[in-house]
Amino acid sequence: MYSGPVIDCDVHHARNTDAELIEYLSRGWREYVTDRGPAGNVPLAVQDGFPNPHGFMRADTYPKGGGEPGSDYATMRDQLLAASDVRRVILTFGDDSHVAGHHNPYFAAELARAMNDWSIERWLSKDGRLSSSIMVGSQLPDVAAAEVRRHADRPGMVQVMLVDNPFNRGFGHPVFHPIYAAAEETGRPVAIHGGAGGWANPPSTGGGSVSTYFETHVLWPQAIQTHLVSFIAHGVFEKFPRLRVVLVEGGSAWIPSLLWRFDMEYKGLRREVPWLKRLPSEYFASHVWVTTQPLEVSPQKENVVELLRSMSLENRLVYSSDYPHWDADEIDYLSTRLPADWHRRIFFENACRLYGWKEEDLAPPRTAARGSA
Amino acid sequence: MRVDVGPVSDFEDHRVRIVHAGNLEVGVLRWRDRFFAIHNRCPHQKGPVCLGIVSGRLGGAAPGSMEVDDEIPVLACPWHGWEFELERGHALWDENYALKVLPVSIESGRVLLDVGRSRD
Repeated sequence: MYSGPVIDCDVHHARNTDAELIEYLSRGWREYVTDRGPAGNVPLAVQDGFPNPHGFMRADTYPKGGGEPGSDYATMRDQLLAASDVRRVILTFGDDSHVAGHHNPYFAAELARAMNDWSIERWLSKDGRLSSSIMVGSQLPDVAAAEVRRHADRPGMVQVMLVDNPFNRGFGHPVFHPIYAAAEETGRPVAIHGGAGGWANPPSTGGGSVSTYFETHVLWPQAIQTHLVSFIAHGVFEKFPRLRVVLVEGGSAWIPSLLWRFDMEYKGLRREVPWLKRLPSEYFASHVWVTTQPLEVSPQKENVVELLRSMSLENRLVYSSDYPHWDADEIDYLSTRLPADWHRRIFFENACRLYGWKEEDLAPPRTAARGSA
Repeated sequence: MRVDVGPVSDFEDHRVRIVHAGNLEVGVLRWRDRFFAIHNRCPHQKGPVCLGIVSGRLGGAAPGSMEVDDEIPVLACPWHGWEFELERGHALWDENYALKVLPVSIESGRVLLDVGRSRD
């Protein structure tokens, strides 16, 4: 089992009440949200239309004192941070992460701003190991870019996260480029989190809409694939040569077959995208990282390992638990599925490269005893 | 061995003409006052590469831009569209993956191919 340092790149923190977030809205937007009399608040989060038959959360992650999984720092600390040698955690929000699924672009921009302030004040202040994604309302790319720049001098705000897709265009489309200009300028990777669409936005399933959570969850990689192909084909990495992208919760075993096809198609169709100077797989190898969860399970575990090795993904994978969600991957489990000589890279070193951290700067916490109060 | 494949005037500008030189089927391209000769077999799936379209090299200085460089003729194989620069025969995406290019010379108004050696 792996017992070395860990960086967890996908941990969902959540709020318990509307009031927590409303506090960070401007006065006008607070009025808009709350002044509906008996109708209650304007909904702050876009709701997923596919119910998970188990619920979306691990049952054991509900805080003992009540509230939503991921909403209580002490519970997260005891269950996640103290359970292994966690040096950094990237927080990725809960249902609020679907802010780009709101129909109202101005409301989305205000919510994203408030969410980021909530994350800074309610979470980053509690533990130096916590860092946060910067959420943006990508409905208004210029406003989103300004939100990214607002956090330029906050080292705890470590990446720009895209989930929902307001334009029905792959994320490489130029409409999104102001966001990437800001991300590159401020040195933040862009994280593309799986699960976007299917309710408020274009389905994440290319062939048509599906009927069950089971289907949509199996097909999550489709949307990630669309965005990856879009990023490379539109020349985003030529336009923003220092930009880094991390694909979150979209799986990884499909990457070799997609890149093999991508390179093959490029050889015949280069004339359509002559601004590309390298093979698609070469852009991937120098700009893209991938989180581990959920690691695909092959009946013979070496099958997945060989696939990942074929694209040197042991150098691009970064560990993610997806705590406190129902399908989270444990470090001990993942250790048994991946070769031992990959462990330190995937659990720690690759994420240091992705986020620009020096290993020596990520000292172990002074107190990390399991179950400490 | 050098093979005379006809007078310069027989070769139309910007067109590939198939000739036979020794045992080889060769495409000869006239590109204004320059001549290129290519073995008519694509290294990919052995397709008749010289039946493909010739154009100046398309490039893009930035995403979304489309520019043509008429100084660099490019041949696209009719099977799968793989593109090759004719000066050295290499694929646009790999310097080391190439067509077989034969040396061409013009002497006394005639086009001569050297089929005894290739540039690659």
